[in-house]
Amino acid sequence: MLQIEQSNLLIENTLGDRLYPSEENSGSAKLLDRIISDFDFTNYHISTLPDDNTKLLISVYLQCWEDLVRFGVDLYLSKKYTSYSAALTILPASDVETGYNYSLLLDTEAAIAEGVEFSQAMVAELALLKRNAMAAAFESAFNRYDELAQQYSGENTYSEEIQAALQAEPTLLVRHRGDEESIFIKPSFDRVTVVFSTTFKDDTDKIFGKVFLQEFVDARKRSVQTAPQVLFTDKEPPLDIQDVVPRGSVSDNKGYVTFVLFPRHLTKGDRRENCISHIQFFRNYFHYHIKCAKAYMHSRMRFRVKEFLKVLNRAKPENVDDDGKAIDTRKTASGRKFEAGRA
Amino acid sequence: MASMGTPAVVMDNGTGLTKLGFAGNDSPSFVFPTAIATSINNTKLGKSGSSLGGLKRGLEDLDFHIGEDALSAAAGPNYSLLYPIRHGQIENWDHMERFWERSIFKYLRCEPEDHYFLLTEPPLNPPENRESTAEIMFESFNCAGLYIAVQAVLALAASWTSSKVQDRSLTGTVIDSGDGVTHVIPVAEGYVIGGAIKNIPLAGRDITLFIQLLLRDRGEADTSLQTAERIKQQFCYVCPDIVNEFKKFDQYPQEKFAQYIVETVSRQSKTVDVGYERFLAPEIFFNPEICSSDYLTPLPTVVDQVVQSSPIDVRKKLYKNIVLSGGSTMFKDFGRRLQRDIKGLVNERIESSERLSGVKSTGVDVQVISHKRQRNAVWFGGSLLAQTAEFKSYCYTKQDYDEYGPNIVRNFSLFSVP
Repeated sequence: MLQIEQSNLLIENTLGDRLYPSEENSGSAKLLDRIISDFDFTNYHISTLPDDNTKLLISVYLQCWEDLVRFGVDLYLSKKYTSYSAALTILPASDVETGYNYSLLLDTEAAIAEGVEFSQAMVAELALLKRNAMAAAFESAFNRYDELAQQYSGENTYSEEIQAALQAEPTLLVRHRGDEESIFIKPSFDRVTVVFSTTFKDDTDKIFGKVFLQEFVDARKRSVQTAPQVLFTDKEPPLDIQDVVPRGSVSDNKGYVTFVLFPRHLTKGDRRENCISHIQFFRNYFHYHIKCAKAYMHSRMRFRVKEFLKVLNRAKPENVDDDGKAIDTRKTASGRKFEAGRA
Repeated sequence: MASMGTPAVVMDNGTGLTKLGFAGNDSPSFVFPTAIATSINNTKLGKSGSSLGGLKRGLEDLDFHIGEDALSAAAGPNYSLLYPIRHGQIENWDHMERFWERSIFKYLRCEPEDHYFLLTEPPLNPPENRESTAEIMFESFNCAGLYIAVQAVLALAASWTSSKVQDRSLTGTVIDSGDGVTHVIPVAEGYVIGGAIKNIPLAGRDITLFIQLLLRDRGEADTSLQTAERIKQQFCYVCPDIVNEFKKFDQYPQEKFAQYIVETVSRQSKTVDVGYERFLAPEIFFNPEICSSDYLTPLPTVVDQVVQSSPIDVRKKLYKNIVLSGGSTMFKDFGRRLQRDIKGLVNERIESSERLSGVKSTGVDVQVISHKRQRNAVWFGGSLLAQTAEFKSYCYTKQDYDEYGPNIVRNFSLFSVP
């Protein structure tokens, strides 16, 4: 598994069991109450309504919801989900389940009546709930890029006024993991800069992380020229976002990863969607691979230790009895003795 | 800490099946075989590159599957199937580490740094294994906190949902019958009495094979293992008395005999008659001689022996709280029959001691507790305990581990009983 999947497998399974009744789970709809978790402190809660087991309440909690609201997440999500309005109702803000940010009401009977294809598409889209919510921020930054590109096309973009105006362009901030780690998105007329701040809780992680990111930076030089430019800075935030990062937040365990997305990556349509999906999962992808690398290292270490132990066991001095004659205690490679005499 | 709001992860890795899920749910989110399929990358395959699905060299360690995916991947030529757990204990740490990695990131989708973990271990697990588990969980995954619980204790906790349980104590006898082996484990106040544990080599797989044997003897249309498995799950029950049950079958054949319809691949349906195996199959626990020739001690006798070899001051409590766990204890009336048989053995002993000593006994209460969550009792018990507010204070955190080293996990404070 090279990439972390974007959709939530568990939501897909849970809803799938409900919507495509099979031999095993047929019969009347049962009570359901489930907590599901996702990366970055995201929690889902899927439950049946107290009086009606055919209606499912799907609620989601995201740490950075307040940030996303500013980028029009409600509008973006309703655009995504209105096409399934035959079975799916978006609850207004007043009816959202307490402790969660966004709730949807799914009528399973209506969904089954709409047919399998409808359900499948809907379940797939619901499994992407977190991705879609996060995408709102990127979408709004990319839209701003479209506007800027239009505004400055054909103008001398090197003139000081325009440079100053671009400099003053606000940076979008998504605190997707509380105050510790954030995403900064800065649109410009010819690029969108995305900066991740990441914190390493463990010193070993920091070293693995640095090596891994160096590979990222080098990969572009070597072979993949079409990839976005990647920069990695340690401790100090990069200049693009220096005015947004609170002062005094410089710490040894912090690093900043900068992606520069060029118009090539921002082509409207599938490519843009794909770009959003990949870039917002970068943090999870990054930490996943640090962990994989550690697991790999550990297996190498275990192998080596086993080899060394074999050597050590062979090197143990022979036992000598009182007459100076060697007692026959030969050992196998794993250190076990032949105890034929004693038995 | 930010990890306070996230639900704890409960992972129960058994020999056959792994149960994964979040604390607070009533059933595990994922149940799949504890199997891992790793790619066979000899140099020939590596050079051709095509078989690795276009992966670059050096990524072999990411090219593997677990669970159901592993079974289907292993059907092809490029993967070999391995089971990292044998007899309840982890044998291959390399594979287990990768198995956990995939379970966490693909199936549960959580960042281990943000979650507390509850893992399970079999009784009599060597402390070295605990240390290795902690090493992986803390050093590879940096998990926020870890608790390793004994499966039998969790099974006891799961029985608290039953209405028969009045006091929530962690003392009782656990009968854990899975697919491979059946354990009888006495637990006193959260501690497993190691010396008294007994194993029975009869479990779910033996029942299935026995049904298959009966079907073959009769020459049914379909005698596959799968059919036998389905019949076991759908039709079998425990009867109070074999002879009477045979009579009932002969008197009311319409009510008792059943039919099972098998859909074959070619859309044809075959009908399999289901007869005496309905009550004979689970009977092997009570009369093992009908299926096995080398193991002849019935389950009730084993339970009695286990309690008798435990310390004398907990025996009464052990008889009073006999808890079932695992899929093979799910048969209808299994608990009732077990209770009756054990009671018979106990009363006989009391009678003889009364006769010999002439002192009247106060009597021993025997109670077998069955409940709805038996199938995944261990996981459910874990989920129950891990959702309590105190759970996180019982765990060791990453800071504790860094401070004291792996041997910190040799002892866990037990759950105080509410």
